[in-house]
Amino acid sequence: MIEKTTWSIWHWLLGAWMLVVVYGAFFYAPTAQGFVGESARIVFFHVPQAWVAVLAFCVNLWASLRYLARRDPLDDARAAAAARLGLVFCVLATLTGSLFAKVMWGEFWNWDPRQISIVILLLVYAAYFALREAVADEERRGGLAAAYAALAFVTMPFLVFVVPRIYFSLHPDTLINVRGEIDMDGRMLQVLLAALVGFTGVFIWLYTLEVRVARVLMARRRREENV
Amino acid sequence: MFAKEVRSELRARVAVNAIGLFGLTTLVAVAYQIGPYQIHEQDRPHLLAALLWIILFFAALSGLQRVFVKEEDAHTAKTLRLAASPLAVWGGKLAFNVALLAALETFLVPLYCILMRMMVQGILPLIALLAVGCLAMAATATMVAAIIARAAGSGTLFAILAVPLMLPLLVMLIQGTRMAMTSPAWGDILPALQGVGALAGVTVVTSIYLFPVVWHD
Repeated sequence: MIEKTTWSIWHWLLGAWMLVVVYGAFFYAPTAQGFVGESARIVFFHVPQAWVAVLAFCVNLWASLRYLARRDPLDDARAAAAARLGLVFCVLATLTGSLFAKVMWGEFWNWDPRQISIVILLLVYAAYFALREAVADEERRGGLAAAYAALAFVTMPFLVFVVPRIYFSLHPDTLINVRGEIDMDGRMLQVLLAALVGFTGVFIWLYTLEVRVARVLMARRRREENV
Repeated sequence: MFAKEVRSELRARVAVNAIGLFGLTTLVAVAYQIGPYQIHEQDRPHLLAALLWIILFFAALSGLQRVFVKEEDAHTAKTLRLAASPLAVWGGKLAFNVALLAALETFLVPLYCILMRMMVQGILPLIALLAVGCLAMAATATMVAAIIARAAGSGTLFAILAVPLMLPLLVMLIQGTRMAMTSPAWGDILPALQGVGALAGVTVVTSIYLFPVVWHD
């Protein structure tokens, strides 16, 4: 009961926090210089979505390695849940990035190295689910999917950091650029950091829900097997 | 393990035939349809580098997946598990795939340069890139081949899993080849060479830890 109340309070706090983030993104943060109109405000949604996607893939790796070490089916469910959410946030980051590209450069898709990188990342984790579908045996599925997840994860730094720097990119400098400096107005930075915290909270909430559903389904299956 | 792989391949020659003929057929089709004169001078380095690696990449995909699938098909995988340590199996299969890919590159790259009139300024940097690229591609393909051998529909699954994993590698290889075509200096090809080398290294190290899990699953 206490746990339920605590969760309920957290959800309300998260909702309030996200409302503040949305308000801050449109009314508190100033208009950025060097961008068309108000297009730069998308940074408060696009960057946290990309961050959460990377975080989700990190959680996927953690759960996969845990599964390989302990062979607990719940760890496999955790890995799948994280990868699923990672894919969702990856799609959202791609869509918001495309909107920004349309406003800034006139086209939704410019074959920019960062756009290509994120699409490859989507394909890599979509393949993770194709592999899961192709293996019927649960334990073998968990093991193979975990191995693939680890292999997929090692390519991620190359997609996120190496490939976009080999080719010329239209993409604005990342938050922490090659000079190691943050080129952002103080109030914009405050809203961006708040958005990063808020989106991380949304991820934790959705991830917890997915894991709870998986736990319930597993318990039901165990009961059915015992009957 | 490597000698066993070579002996087994010399008996049936399935992978050699698949890789060689796929590569040759694609090269002939590209040379016939595009040829050396259909590309503007300023586009040559980029297009020729991209076409070369697309031919090598898809030819490699047609043969590299067989290393583990053939053991499952012939029902020899269980015996292999008892007869050799996982690392020996992985090392042998990787060495065989590297040899197969190196043979394909030795045969196809000079032929491609002749047919497409591809002039390379930095021959040594290109050879280094081909060697490191060969190791990176073979390492990824070997590990994915081990995974798909234990799943249903392994043929199609190999392409679904391997192509996205190899795309960053392909991007860096195309960029490196382009630089080798236009400049003899090692410094120009170095970023791509470092990227490919790093990817090869992390894939090999990750595979050493993951392969025993996949092999005994």
